[in-house]
Amino acid sequence: MPNDALRDSLAEKRWLTALSKGDPSALGGLYEMYGERIFRYTFRMLGNRTDAEDATAETFLRVLRRSTELRADGAFRTWLFRIARNLCIDKMRQHKLMELPSDAHYSGSEERATLRVTVQQALSDLPIEYREPLVLCDLEDMAAREAAEILKISVPALKSRLYRGRRALRDKLGGTLERTS
Amino acid sequence: MNNELYSKLVDMYAGNELPAELEDQMELAAASNAGLNHDMTTLRRVVDTLHQGNDAEYTEESHHRILMKLYARGAEIQTQAPVPSHFQYNLPLQG
Repeated sequence: MPNDALRDSLAEKRWLTALSKGDPSALGGLYEMYGERIFRYTFRMLGNRTDAEDATAETFLRVLRRSTELRADGAFRTWLFRIARNLCIDKMRQHKLMELPSDAHYSGSEERATLRVTVQQALSDLPIEYREPLVLCDLEDMAAREAAEILKISVPALKSRLYRGRRALRDKLGGTLERTS
Repeated sequence: MNNELYSKLVDMYAGNELPAELEDQMELAAASNAGLNHDMTTLRRVVDTLHQGNDAEYTEESHHRILMKLYARGAEIQTQAPVPSHFQYNLPLQG
């Protein structure tokens, strides 16, 4: 295990143990480890900053509520993403959030910013079964095995959805990528 | 080459999952096959664009709004970074 991964694993174990004992600094420690990644994931799933902030906060509240049940067995991160995923799906069902976020912040050159808007829009238009593997594997750089565990599907099924999703996204983007390359 | 195998190889090429030797062979084949070349380059461009994506910026404002939501729901959370005063609630003066 690389040093960074080992250090993170030990820190995660320490915070989970502390959380189960009611240490108030433990939730903050876990939030500092995973808060940004959960926010990015929920933002990309929901396409809206306010809903992503709500979903992130709710994810960590659920961690707190189930603090006595959590075990530092290496599966915490997968479980955390599963919670975030379920919350995103609930929000999408409630609000049918499929439109481009009005409060998204796009920086960089105008051309790159336009591309990001177009990609975000195309991603939002994809069916959820294609969007999820793209967000986890291509945007979050997550390993296929972990993404498959979060989605509760097999690795071959994940790869099949990922490959189809990339092709569907390419078809939606049309010539945009070529014009901005 | 059958269509299924062809598609799978292109998909793996796009995701940088092929060994270098096989990737070289794919690129060599694409040099004389415009359709294959288009399929390979456009799909890889999709993957590269997604990997470079910086669309979900985690701002300081979002960080503090999330913490505030947690505080408001009764979570005792302590982080190393102090909450700036402009994010704290102004309590009404008593008396």
